[in-house]
Amino acid sequence: MRFYAICVYLFLYIPIGVIALFSFNAGRHASQLQGFSTKWYGKALSNPFVMDALETSLIVAFCSALFASVFGTMAAVALQGIRGPVRVAFDMLIYVAVMIPGIVIGIATLIGLVTVFDQLNPLIAAIWPDGFKPPKLRMGIGSLIAAHTMFLMALVVIIVRARLAGMDRALTEASSDLYATPLGTFRQVTLPMIFPAILAGFLLSFTFSFDDFIIAFFVAGSETTLPIYVFSSIRRGVTPEINAIGTMVMGVSLLLLISAQLLLQRGRQKSR
Amino acid sequence: MTQRTHNWLLLAPAGTWFLVMLIIPLIVVFIFSFGERAPSGGVVLAFSFEQYANLPARWAAFKNTMTLAPIGTLSALLIAYPLAYFLAVKANPRWKTILLVLVIVPFWTSILIRSYAWIFLLGGRGIPALLEWVGIEGLRLINTPFAVLVGIIYGYLPLMVFPIFVSLDKLDKRLLEASSDLGAKPWKTFLQVTLPLSIPGIATGCMLVFILLMGEYLIPALLGGGKVFFVGNALVDLFLQSRNWAYGSAVAVTLVVVMLITVTIYMRLISRLGASREDVSIM
Amino acid sequence: MTKKTIDHISKKEFMEKLESYRKGSITRRHFLNVTGLGAAAAVMGASVPGLRPQPAFAGDIGDRVVLATWPNYHDPANFDAFTEATGAHVQVNVFGSNEEMLAKLQAGATGWDVYVPTNYTFEDYVKEDLIEPLDTSLLPNFDASAFDARYAEAGSVNGTLYGVPKNWGSTGMAVNTKHNGGNAISSWREFFDITMDQFSGRTIVHDYQLTTIGSALNAFGYSFNSVDEKELADAEKLLIDVKPHLFAITSDYQPGMRNGDAWLTICWSGDGKQLNTDMPEIAYALGKEGGEIWSDYWAIPKSSERKAAAYALINFMLDPSVNAKEVLAHGYPTADSRTYDQLPDDLKSDPIIFPAQELLSPLEFGAAVTLTDPNRAELMARFKSA
Repeated sequence: MRFYAICVYLFLYIPIGVIALFSFNAGRHASQLQGFSTKWYGKALSNPFVMDALETSLIVAFCSALFASVFGTMAAVALQGIRGPVRVAFDMLIYVAVMIPGIVIGIATLIGLVTVFDQLNPLIAAIWPDGFKPPKLRMGIGSLIAAHTMFLMALVVIIVRARLAGMDRALTEASSDLYATPLGTFRQVTLPMIFPAILAGFLLSFTFSFDDFIIAFFVAGSETTLPIYVFSSIRRGVTPEINAIGTMVMGVSLLLLISAQLLLQRGRQKSR
Repeated sequence: MTQRTHNWLLLAPAGTWFLVMLIIPLIVVFIFSFGERAPSGGVVLAFSFEQYANLPARWAAFKNTMTLAPIGTLSALLIAYPLAYFLAVKANPRWKTILLVLVIVPFWTSILIRSYAWIFLLGGRGIPALLEWVGIEGLRLINTPFAVLVGIIYGYLPLMVFPIFVSLDKLDKRLLEASSDLGAKPWKTFLQVTLPLSIPGIATGCMLVFILLMGEYLIPALLGGGKVFFVGNALVDLFLQSRNWAYGSAVAVTLVVVMLITVTIYMRLISRLGASREDVSIM
Repeated sequence: MTKKTIDHISKKEFMEKLESYRKGSITRRHFLNVTGLGAAAAVMGASVPGLRPQPAFAGDIGDRVVLATWPNYHDPANFDAFTEATGAHVQVNVFGSNEEMLAKLQAGATGWDVYVPTNYTFEDYVKEDLIEPLDTSLLPNFDASAFDARYAEAGSVNGTLYGVPKNWGSTGMAVNTKHNGGNAISSWREFFDITMDQFSGRTIVHDYQLTTIGSALNAFGYSFNSVDEKELADAEKLLIDVKPHLFAITSDYQPGMRNGDAWLTICWSGDGKQLNTDMPEIAYALGKEGGEIWSDYWAIPKSSERKAAAYALINFMLDPSVNAKEVLAHGYPTADSRTYDQLPDDLKSDPIIFPAQELLSPLEFGAAVTLTDPNRAELMARFKSA
C-alpha cells in the first residue's frame, strides 16, 4: 500500500521535477540541457508581460471568486426558504451551469456578448452627449470576470447549500425563539456555521479561475492571462523561461502550504 | 420586509447573472445553430437543419471524446482510489494533511505547464530514449491516444483523489474495527463497509472528471499533436480557424445535449445504486 | 451530539454552542488544515504583484503597444531598443495562422495595435472593414521606391495603402537528412510518399488550410490555390491517407524537429534557416512542383486604440538598420533594398534566404479566395477530425 502511494507520488512529481530541472537550463531550447544557469528566472521576473499576465490572472481570479462567493451564498441562503417553480428553475440553472463544458461557456459567451454588444454599441453612441467619446462595450477583463463568476457562482451555491442542509436547524429556531432578528440570526448563527463552506467555495473558485485557459481563450478579448501567455509561449517554441515561471508558482505555493501547515500546528499546540 | 421579498432580493444578483451570462448566450448559440455560414465567416440567420445534417462530418471527434473520456475517468478512478484509501485509512495521521496537500499542489500549477512536461517526457528524448537504452526501439509515445490518456490521468488525478478521500475520511474507523472484530475478512470489510460508504465520493469524483473531459481541448491539443481530436478541438477549430459559427453552434448544442443525457443517466444509476444500498442497510 | 436525536436544545446549550462557533471556529481551522489552501491563496495573491517592475512611463505614445505576430519572427533586442527609445513596451501575441488571426479579429478580439497579415488576407480585411488605411506621413522610414513591387503590391487594395512590407518568404519542406541517407527532399510527391513509407510517424504538416491543402494539391501537379472540387477531392483523399502516418498537425514544428521526434515538416523558409543554422543536418528545400511564396506586411487593425504607438513601432521596424537585425534573427528575406545593402555578404548569398530565381518561379502567392472558400475550410476541418 505504501509502495503504491510512493509510486503515485512519483508519477505526480517527476514531471514537475523535470519542469524545475529544465528551468535551470543555460540553453535556449527547453528540450536540450546545456549547462546550469538561473538567468531564466531573472528574465521571467523582469518580463513585464509575464507580470502583466500574472496580474490580470490574479485580478480576474480574485474578483470572480469574490463575486461568486457573495452572490452564490446569498442565493444558497435564499433557496433554503423557497419552494415551487422558482426553486426548480434555479436548480435547473445551477445544474446546467455546472454541467456545461467550459469550452461551450466560452463560445456561448463570446458569440452571445459580441452579438449583444453589436446591437448595444450604436445605441449607446446615439444617446451619448455630443462631444464626448461614447464608451464601447467589448470583450476584455470585464467579460472574463463575468463569465468566470457565472459558473463559479453555481459551484458556490452547491457547496454552501450542502453545508446549510447539514446545519442544525434547532440552532436557528432557538435563535428566533430568543427574538433575534432574521439578520441577527444570520450573522450570529448561520454565517459562522456556513463560513467554512463559503471559504472553501472562494478558494476553489480562485483556483479554477486562475487555472482556466479555455474560457479565457474565447472571452478575454485582447487581455492576456497567465495561462494564455504560457499557451502562446509553448507555440513560440518553449524557452526555459516558462519552466522558470512554473517552478516559481509551484515553489511559492508549496512554501506557503508548508508554512501555513506549521503555523496551524503550532497554533493548535498552544490552544491545548 | 417580509421573508418573501427578502429571499427575492437575495436571489436577484445570481438570477440576473445567470440570465445575462448563461441563458441569453445559450439562446444565441441555439439560434445560430439553425443559421448558415456567412460568405466571409460569421453567421447568417436562417431556419435550416443543414448544420445538424452535416454533423456526421465530426463523427470522429465525438467518437474520440466518448471513448477517451470514460476510459480516462475510469483509469483516474482506479489509480486514485487506493491512494485516497491509503491517505484516509492507513496513513499516519501526523502526515495525513501534508500528504493530501502534496496531492493537491500539482493542481495549483497551470495544466499547460504540466502537460508541457509530458511533451518532453513522452517525446523522443524522454521515456522512449530510456527504453531504447534497455533495448526497446522505435517506440513512439507522443501525439498518440496513449499520450492524451496519460495527460488526462495526470491532470485530473487530484480532482478524483480529493472527494474520495473526503468520503473515506468521514468513515468511522470504529466501523472497520467492529467489522474485523466480528471476524470479517479484510476484503469483505472493504466490499461491505468501506466501498459502499465511499460511493458518494466516487460519484462526485467521476462526475467532476468526466464533465471536464467532455469539453477537453488543451490536453489533446498539446499531447495529441492535433491528431487526437476531441469535440473541444473541433469547436476551437470551427470558431477560431474556419470561422463557421453556424456549424460550430450546432456542434456545441449537440455536445451539450449528449452531455446532459449521459450525466442524467449516470445520476440515475448512482441514485439507484444508493437506493439499493439503503435497502441492504435496512435489512 | 447527533441531530437526529435532539430536536430542541436548551437555551444554555444554545449559548454555549454559539459561543464555540463564534470564537473557536474549529471547523474553519480544521478546513484550512485539511486543504492548506487558504493561506496559500491569500498570501500569493497579495505578494506576487509586488515583484512586478515598474514600467517606464514616458512619451506621448503611451506605455505599450500590442503586436500580433507569428512564432520565431522577431529579434527581441529590437523591441527592447524600441522601449528604450519611446518608453512603450511591446506586448507580443503569437498566432499560428492568418486564418486564426482573422477569426479572432472577427470575433471581436480588439486590443492589438500592430499585426503582420500575409498577402492573401488583405482583400478580406478591407471587405470586413477590419484594417486601417495607412498614413505614410507618419512613417518617415517608409520609402515605397526601395521595395520590390512583387512583395509590396498586396498591401494596397483599390489604390489605398493598408500594409507596408515586412519581409517575404517561401513555404517548402525541411528534412532531417540523417534519416534519408544525407539527402534533402525537394518534391511534394516525395514528401507524401516517404511519409507513408519509411518516415511513417515522423512528418509534420501545418495546422491551417493554405499550405497543407496546397502541398497536397501540388503533389498532384495542381495549383496550390485550387478551389476546384475534383482537385480538392484528390487532395483530401491524399491527406486522409497520410494522416495516420503523421507525427503531428501543428504550425509550431521547431520543437519537434529540434528534439528529433520529427524528421520532415512543411516549413517556412525562415524557420528552415533557423533550424539549419543550429542543426546543419536539417535541410530546407522548395517543392519542385510548386508551393507558396508569400509576403507579410505591417498593418494596423481598425480597432487599435493606440494608433500613435502603432505607427511608432512600424516606423521603428522599417528603419533599415533595425530591419537588418530582424533578418539576421528570423532568417526571412527582405524586399527593402536599403536593408538588403546592410546585410552581411554570406547572408545575401544564402540559398535558403535568397533562393535562385528558377526555384522561385513555380511558386504561387496565396490567393484570397482560399481564405473564404468554405470547401477548403471544411476540407481542412474534416482532415483534422478524421
